Amino acid sequence: MGAVRAEFLKVKRSLSWVVVLLLPVALVLVGTVNTVVSGERPEEGWHTLWLRSVVLYGLFPLTVGIGVLASLVWRVEHRGGNWNALMGGPTPALRIVAAKAAVVSALAAAMQGVMLAAVVLAGKLVFALPGLPPGRYVLISAVIAAACVPVAVLQSGLSMLMRSFAAPVAMAFLGAAGAIVLLMLGAGAAASALPYALVGRATQLGTGTFADTGALTLGGAASIAGAAALLTGVLIAASALLLDRTDARA
Amino acid sequence: MPDIVTTDRLAKRYREHPVVHDLDLRIPEGCVYGFLGPNGSGKSTTMKMLLGLVRPSSGEIRIGGRPMRRSTRRELLGGIGSLIETPPGYGHLTGRENMRLVQRLLGLGDGQVARAVRTVRLQDHLDKKVRAYSLGMKQRLGIAMALAREPRLLILDEPTNGLDPAGIEEIRGLLRRLAGDGVTVMVSSHLLGEIDRTATVLGILGGGRLLFQGTRAELFARSAPDVLIDTPDPAYAHSLLSGGFESRLDGTSVRLAGLDDRATAKAVAHLVGAGVDVHGVRRGERSLEDVFMDLTGGGGL
Ligand SMILES: Nc1ncnc2c1ncn2[C@@H]1O[C@H](COP(=O)(O)OP(=O)(O)O)[C@@H](O)[C@H]1O
Ligand SMILES: [Mg+2]
Repeated sequence: MGAVRAEFLKVKRSLSWVVVLLLPVALVLVGTVNTVVSGERPEEGWHTLWLRSVVLYGLFPLTVGIGVLASLVWRVEHRGGNWNALMGGPTPALRIVAAKAAVVSALAAAMQGVMLAAVVLAGKLVFALPGLPPGRYVLISAVIAAACVPVAVLQSGLSMLMRSFAAPVAMAFLGAAGAIVLLMLGAGAAASALPYALVGRATQLGTGTFADTGALTLGGAASIAGAAALLTGVLIAASALLLDRTDARA
Repeated sequence: MPDIVTTDRLAKRYREHPVVHDLDLRIPEGCVYGFLGPNGSGKSTTMKMLLGLVRPSSGEIRIGGRPMRRSTRRELLGGIGSLIETPPGYGHLTGRENMRLVQRLLGLGDGQVARAVRTVRLQDHLDKKVRAYSLGMKQRLGIAMALAREPRLLILDEPTNGLDPAGIEEIRGLLRRLAGDGVTVMVSSHLLGEIDRTATVLGILGGGRLLFQGTRAELFARSAPDVLIDTPDPAYAHSLLSGGFESRLDGTSVRLAGLDDRATAKAVAHLVGAGVDVHGVRRGERSLEDVFMDLTGGGGL
């Protein structure tokens, strides 16, 4: 727990919070502007707005955003003597890897919270939609946050192994592109093995887009959460193993 | 006294390029061990191997008698504080926040952190962002972060590098205080003068090899100072001696290097036999710096 608390202290005053705030807001803005410009009202109310912002968000901005957050979180460790100090200390590799992944996952979850809030604001202020969005979006948001965890672990691992800020982000982008292809082919099962595709599936949950059936079932949500848990375990163990075997550079 | 660090034929190769050769370090418990060598001689690589940051190509390391392996590493590191190459620290956080980070990570008490901060005399600068710290303050913060866990062994890689004379003096005083508290300190430098008077044991590295290991007195004894022969005609004496000795002119004297007492007697007999007046024979002054330069081939900065 100490390692996790230490990691949360490191993101104080960090640029990460700007990403957490701006990325979802920008996506909702795009969804809103698209709807306004096309001159239509969101016929299906909240559903239309959700479709236009969250599904788009899940196609690549979310993954790339997590990539940026992971690079930001690791950037400080690649600076000065921080790497040598961290690796020259008694904290086991597994705990270091898990603590970093926990912070990136928490930031991603916060980003989903901002997303939900931005959708509500846009719906109320721009389109004057009646009431509040159905509670299912809270459940879907929770599933999205869970599906973000393996991506956070994977990107955290890449940013740990690579000193470059941009290279892991580029890999997130490529991963997202691969995920879109998988989802267009309707390869749902294969999509569960690729963290980037799992996030895509989660954001499409209940929308009927891509491989989604359009129905939100508890089983569907649970299968995504289960796959996320499995991937998280495997990726954390692999990252810790790699970290223990890597020589300090320069 | 038992050795807290021993290495047995420790070596590191990068690709096929050897960087450290067959190092047999012996660091006695409680000493300040000055690890000297020109830039690129392998000091940082050796220290990284001691900490498990870099895997040795061959050889073995023992810390407090226990082998340093991947399986024992994290446990052994609990008793070692270190600062390698550049000081650590998160620039966007204050000194206090950086210390709190270490405290949380290692589960330390407030007293341990406060003591570490006082030891490096940083207590009045804790509310400044580390980004705004001077290099000397960053070094001291890095040492405080390493000290907070109250290690038995402290490994400091060139902590005086880039500091002004006052900063260097501050670090020297700190090393002496730590040694007084019973902490074993291994400290590296490429400048002998920076750790000369603080170190009780010296290890001198050149081209990845250990050229010398022992006390200052042993280092002096190992390389005999030059013999100076005063004579009214040094040029003639030099011409007579240069065949059999390493001789050169030095003002009104002839300077002979690398002579033990018997060779000195032979050189004097040779001059006297040739009818040269010998007014005086004495040993020249040698600084530790000269000895260091001789050993490392003048590779210091
Ligand atoms: N990761 C590495 N890959 C290849 N060569 C390296 C690496 N690290 C250090 N070296 C080489 O090893 C030698 C010793 O370096 P180092 O241990 O940093 O010396 P010092 O600390 O005494 O200045 C240098 O020639 C350096 O270029
Ligand atoms: Mg060095």
